Amino acid sequence: MATKVYALSTCPYCKMARKYLEENSVSFDVVEVDMLTGSEREEAVSEVKRLSGGTSFPVIEVDGEVIVGFNKPKMQKLLHL
Amino acid sequence: MSDATSKRRFSPGTTIDDLKAYMGPFAARLGYKFNTDEDFVAMVLEGEIEVLDRDGDVYCPCRMRTGDPKEDLKIVCPCIPFYTDQFSAMSKCWCGLFIRTDVEDGSTLHGVIEAPDGPVDVRVAATGDLADGQGRVVAVGKRKLALFRVDGEFFCLENVCKHLWAPLGEGYLDGHFVMCPWHGWRYDVRTGTTDHPDADVRTFAVTVLGGEVFVRI
Repeated sequence: MATKVYALSTCPYCKMARKYLEENSVSFDVVEVDMLTGSEREEAVSEVKRLSGGTSFPVIEVDGEVIVGFNKPKMQKLLHL
Repeated sequence: MSDATSKRRFSPGTTIDDLKAYMGPFAARLGYKFNTDEDFVAMVLEGEIEVLDRDGDVYCPCRMRTGDPKEDLKIVCPCIPFYTDQFSAMSKCWCGLFIRTDVEDGSTLHGVIEAPDGPVDVRVAATGDLADGQGRVVAVGKRKLALFRVDGEFFCLENVCKHLWAPLGEGYLDGHFVMCPWHGWRYDVRTGTTDHPDADVRTFAVTVLGGEVFVRI
């Protein structure tokens, strides 16, 4: 199961979501969008917009399904926690 | 990010207590207070201070600036003035940093952040609360709406007749039309339209899920 978290380094809900995944031993990739620069950043921002329709974080992608925000019930469902 | 530095409202070295002292009275005037969960408040404000140091103002730590100053103003904390309808209905701001002053325990009002800027669905009644052909006034936060049930289907309108501001939710239903209780102005509950010029009322989308009626605002 591929899980990717688009996050901002300053965002408390991103931290909570990452902590929650770690506590449940879910392996995931993180992209801290605000720490990127130049074209890497632009690409990440447009990917977040494509996935979520906005620029609010975290955006969590689980096997093609998208969760916007730290939504524990949705994470539990998609990750079978 | 040089555009923000010229109008910086906070000096370097701003602390969590400084932010609280600045935002608290502002939120109070709007009917909100800091969440009662102090650890959560500290966590959000720490994020805001990181943003402040980097970008020159207390932009939302969970959202990205667009670069358009007018748009970005909407993500300066507290963003309460821009989303009064949604926050009033949810009893909290998007992230839960602020809760309505009448809420005693805010600890359950964070943890899940809704997708910011979107509409929210608010429970207003159980399906059994209204019989067919009945209407009633329902409260969504501090706002009142008119809810109707016709043939098992629910409809929601602004609760104000445009004639003399009577409560439409107390009107009489005739099929899909509600008659204002004061002077009988007639509105279609499906569309909010009336025969009187420039007097249509707003409609709100309704969903029914598991015996509960939700209104989207």
